[in-house]
Formats: sequence, structure tokens, C-alpha cells
Amino acid sequence: MYQDNFEEDDLIAEVEFVEQEVYAKRSPTDDGFDTEGASVQSASTTQIPDGVRNFILHFYRNVMDNNVYELHNIYDHSFNKVTDKYYTKQAWPEAEIVSPLVNDDQVFLTLYRELYYRYIYSRMAPTLEQRFNSYENYCDLFNYILNSEGPVNLELPNQWLWDIIDEFIFQFQSFSNYRDHFANKSEQELSLLSENPQIWSCYSVLNVLYSFIQKSRIQEQLLVSKNGGDMMEAAGEYGSRPLYKMLGYFSIVGLLRVHCLLGDYMLALKMMDNIILNKKAMFARVTACHVTTYYYVGFAYMMMRRYADAVKSFSTILSFMQKTKQYHSRSYQSDQVSSKVDQMYALLAICITMSPTRLDEGIHSKLREKYGEKLIKMQKGDEAIPIFEEFFSRSCPKFISATNPDCKVVPERKLHQLNLNVFMSDIRNQIMLPTIRSFMKLYTSMDVDKLAKFLETDSEELKMQLLVYKQKSRQFKWTEGNLIEGEYQSTSDLDFCLKKDIIHIAEVKIGRRYGDWFLRNISRCEDLVATLENKA
Amino acid sequence: MPATTIAHRPQTIQSLIDGVERYNPENVNVLEEYLATQCKNGDYDLMANLAILKLYQFNPNLASTNVIINILAKALTAVPAPDFNLCLYLLSEQATLPAVEKLTTLQQLLEQSRYAKFWETYNNEEYKSLTAAVVGFEAAIRQVIARVVAMSHQVISTSVLSSYLALSGDELTKFCNEQQWQKKDDVVQIPINEDNEAKAVVVIENIKFEQLTKVIGYSNEM
Repeated sequence: MYQDNFEEDDLIAEVEFVEQEVYAKRSPTDDGFDTEGASVQSASTTQIPDGVRNFILHFYRNVMDNNVYELHNIYDHSFNKVTDKYYTKQAWPEAEIVSPLVNDDQVFLTLYRELYYRYIYSRMAPTLEQRFNSYENYCDLFNYILNSEGPVNLELPNQWLWDIIDEFIFQFQSFSNYRDHFANKSEQELSLLSENPQIWSCYSVLNVLYSFIQKSRIQEQLLVSKNGGDMMEAAGEYGSRPLYKMLGYFSIVGLLRVHCLLGDYMLALKMMDNIILNKKAMFARVTACHVTTYYYVGFAYMMMRRYADAVKSFSTILSFMQKTKQYHSRSYQSDQVSSKVDQMYALLAICITMSPTRLDEGIHSKLREKYGEKLIKMQKGDEAIPIFEEFFSRSCPKFISATNPDCKVVPERKLHQLNLNVFMSDIRNQIMLPTIRSFMKLYTSMDVDKLAKFLETDSEELKMQLLVYKQKSRQFKWTEGNLIEGEYQSTSDLDFCLKKDIIHIAEVKIGRRYGDWFLRNISRCEDLVATLENKA
Repeated sequence: MPATTIAHRPQTIQSLIDGVERYNPENVNVLEEYLATQCKNGDYDLMANLAILKLYQFNPNLASTNVIINILAKALTAVPAPDFNLCLYLLSEQATLPAVEKLTTLQQLLEQSRYAKFWETYNNEEYKSLTAAVVGFEAAIRQVIARVVAMSHQVISTSVLSSYLALSGDELTKFCNEQQWQKKDDVVQIPINEDNEAKAVVVIENIKFEQLTKVIGYSNEM
């Protein structure tokens, strides 16, 4: 475990240390980047406060040494601290200013720029020029990683690798959104946009993600870990290095997301072939990735009308997040993660209404706490429609258009409306079903006309609703294998059949579960006896 | 049933949609021809058809209204699978075309089980013409409806069935025989299947052996 001590005398020698690549020691209680004391400065570094300078040098050293453990600490923790201290209102210094400190090391500067632009996006509004520059910086970084001769000797913490992919897609989304608003653009901006159609184009984003997947041979590696085989051979020269493997893996999740944003839900789920959704999966190593994966898987299932599978997806991750609330670091991603969690509660409310299932107690109580009243309204026919629309609009991702600025761009609003309309048409067809169900629960057999009178509708209408109910009570549900597979299964606890005009109703009852209770109490009894025996 | 590998999907199509070649606009013709084959011989391949729509998304200049109409018509025969909606999600530019809107109307009628109204609407020439390229369209729709009827009924009156299927007299009798339903005077009896049985079920807990290992361990120590 490294400990770096920044003592005042060391400071002056710091610059030499970098050249000699020798470490100093640091005390664990002191972050050590701040010093009072004079230091050697060259003209171009005068704008940088000492604390920041030391941080950058420390950062640079660890990048050069591929010290992933320390880098994780720097990236997740120290960077934010320094930002909060020095750069709450302005951007970090530009790469050119920092470059003399790090011997103009281009790799480090590219990584530095990534953080620099990410900061701008999150706390300020980027200009068109900054958007372009950030794109080109990403191209430089990806080119370096993908197209150097042979795999590069760089190691970065997983959190950062995920954030690179995630931020790349986020900036792409942000650019699409920006592009939609043609009205308030200047001449210069418009011409810049039309002259550079490839910048932040959909093809280039997809190209990056697919390239990572191909280079790292992650699909082959996943197949081997599922079915057995020679991992080294499957991974190849690039894929056996953690940097490439994780970037490939995170790119799969990236594609899951991008396909959902483009409205191709089936392809999105297909990307997840060979990935098994459980705690041991690689996406669980980074919380933000974990949450993102489950969110998009659940959303894709929901749009494919596989509500039961969507419920399972959302409740798994929400359950996990509830249990691990205290461990989540205040990282760059934590705000995003909590807003995704909120969105998932809303989507869960929708899915649970469409496909009533038993939920884990913790989730159920949280859901009732947040949306208790609305949940009740969602079962009540026409009152429910605006609530469904509100939940969907609030929680769906920001869709993007595939076309280039040259062609007609479909603005995000329109895409949103399209997805909303198609989704709601399905909801509308089922809106009366909870009411019908609640009536049917009370009887074992009933005449169609009589039920129609109760529901204040006519029997023809009711018959059609019953047929719809029957269809909706059978869903395509995942049983095993890849996420996209499944079988038709019954998902409703209330079944019926029509004999001419009489409805025969049957309920699926869950028998009393005694196994768990007995097992637990037997264990407790044994523990008691063992304790007593020990004391004797 | 969304199938990612279909038995009769040719290998060329499979490798096309599995890799990055699916984004290459030059491949759109191959996929369109495959669709035409589907229309002629009654097969159906959702993934390949969605790949066409995706290519249209990226290259709107390639979009052919006819192809879109055929894809949607094919998706109608897959109800209650969500195929039609999955197609609509990819049709951001073309959603407001009158042809698409008409097909959506038909889809909604099917989804709402308004079968009598479906046939009434469908029998208008402007609707019928949209599905003309799909061989066996009407038979496929009747299959969709028959499946729903078989799921929900044990006994259905002949007149109601007739309105659902837009068949009557001898044609209706023939259809019932093909489905192995029994037509008796004015009712049709549907044999019991797993969906229309409506039997009260009690789900009993299934205690697995592994859960008992600890308890058995205790008894060993005694």
C-alpha cells in the first residue's frame, strides 16, 4: 500500500522526482496537495495553484506507472476534492497549460482533456467548439487505444473506463439534442455543423463501440466463460489485457443503451447475448454500469411488452441499491445513479400495474411510499391514462435520431411522442382490465350480461375485453438462456373460460408456505441448544 | 414469437444481421428480397425485417413505402406478439404516412379483439390493397383469431364465431374441422387445452432437497 508524504522540502524537488520517477511518501491523514511554501515555477504554470500542480504531478506519475489502485483513489476521490476546492466556478486549466508539468505527454494530456471536458459538460454549458474538441479528443484517445501497433501499455481503473464509455454516449446524446434546436443558432454555427457531419454522428459512435467489442474479442471470451474452453486463445493478444477487455465489455452495455435510444429494443436485448444477469457479472463491478444495465434491460423488456421480465429486472436492481445504500461513493456518477433509481420506481409502477406480481417487501413499501395514491388511480380506468403518460415521459431515456445533420433530423420531441404514443396505445387497450379482474375475483361463474351490467358496459364490449384479458394474461417470459429468449407463460393469477355466455372463473391460489418458517426455526433451536451446551 | 435464429433463415441473412454488415446500406437489397420471399411463401422473420427498418432509419433516402407496408402487414400476422409495435418504434419518419396509419388501425382492432369490425374495415379496397402482396394474409389472420378463441372458450355460439372469422356456412364448418373443433348445430365446442381450462389451482411449495441439508446435518450430529 503506497503512502505519499508531501512535505515542504519535497516540493521543490518534486519536478526532479518526476524526471527520475522515484516516489515520495505521503501520510495517510493528509491529502497533501496543499502546501504553503514557495516552489519552483516556470512562467506557464504560474496560473495553477500549488495544490493543483502537486495533484497533477501525482496523477501523472500514477498513470505512467499503471498504478490502478492509486489511480482509482485519485480518480474517484481526490479529483473531486481538488475540483471542489479550486474549481467550483471555473473550468480546470486547459491542457496546454498543464503540459509542461507532464513533459508534454500526449497520452496523459488526452486523459486529462477527457476529465476537463467532462467537467465542462456537467457544470457549464459547452460551446459548439468545445463539443467538437471533445469529440476529437475522444477520437485521439480511441485511436491510440485501438490503432497503435500492438496493445498499449496503459491501465486505468474500471470506474474510469466505464465513465469514458458512458460520457462518450452522453455527449453524443447531448449533441443530438443541441442539433435539434436549429432556430437559435448563428450562421457560423450552422455552417460548422453542416461542414462536419461526421462529428458526433451516429455511425461514428456505433463504430467506436463495435470496434472495442471486436478488438477485445469480448463475445468470444463470454462464450468461453459460459461454455468452457481456452480463455487465452479466445481473448487474443488484446483481449487478455484488462483495459481492452473491460472497454469491450462496457461497450456491450453502451450498445444496449444506444439501441434503446434509437428505438431498436430487440437488437438492444440481443447485444446482451451471453451475459448472465447476476451479481457476479462484470458490470456489477461499477455501480453506475450495474444500474444502467438493469435500467435499459428493463426498459427494453417493457417496450417489448414483456412486463413480467421488466418487473424482475427493475426490482432486482432496486433491491440491490436499497441494501447497499451506504456504500455508494460520492463519485461523479452518484447523482445520475440516484435519478435513474427514481425513474425505475416510476417504470416499475407501470409494469406492476400491467402485470401484477408479488414484489419484494422492501421495494413494495418504497413504491407505496412514493406513489401510493397514483398506484391506486392507475387501476381505475380513464383516470389512469395521464398518470401512465407522466410516468413514461419522466422515466424514458432521451431518444435520438439516427440521421445526419444534412438530412432531415427528427427532433427528440417527435421521437419521444412517437414512442409515447405507441406505448400508450397498448396501455389504453388494457386500461379496463384491472377493474374487470377485481369483479371477476368475487365469483366462480357469471353470466356475461350480468357482469356487463356491473361494469356499466354492454356485453359485446365486455366480450372483447375478456378476449383481451386472456391474451394479456399470457406473456413471453424469460426462463433460461439469453435475455431475448423466453416462453409463453401465464402471468395472471385469475383465469377464466367462456362457455357460450357464461364465464367460468378460476383463481390460482398460492398454498401456504411453511418450509422456510420451519427451517429457520429449526436452525434457531439448534443455535440455542448449542449455546446452552457450551455454557454447561 | 421473436426468434433470433429461425430454422429456415438462410446463412447469408444470418451472418448479415449478426454482424456490422447490417449497417451497410448496400445490403438493403438482399434483405428486401428476403422479405419478398417471406411474403410469397408464408414465412416470417422479424429480426431480418427490423434490420431493413433500421437501415431506413440511417438512410431515409433508401426507404421504400412498399417494403414498409409489407413488413407491417407481415407483423399483423404475428399478433399478439409485439412485432408491429417494434416496427413502429423504428419508423420515426414514416409514422404519419396514410398507409401506415391504416395498418395501425387494423392492428388496433386486432389487439382490441374487435374482430367483426376488423373484417368490416379490412374489406374496404384501400385496406385490402395494402396486404395484397402477402400471400395467405387472411388465413394467417384467421389463425391469430382462432388461437385467441381457442384460448378463451370451451363453447362458443356459431353466430359469434362466424362474425369473428368472417366465415359462414360450409367454409366455417371446414375451418372448424381443420382446427379440430366440433360444430354442433348452433354452438362450436373447443377441446380442452392448457389455456381454456380455468381450473382452480393451488400452488404448493416445492421444498428442494438442498434446503434440508443443514437440518440433516444436525440430525447426524445427534
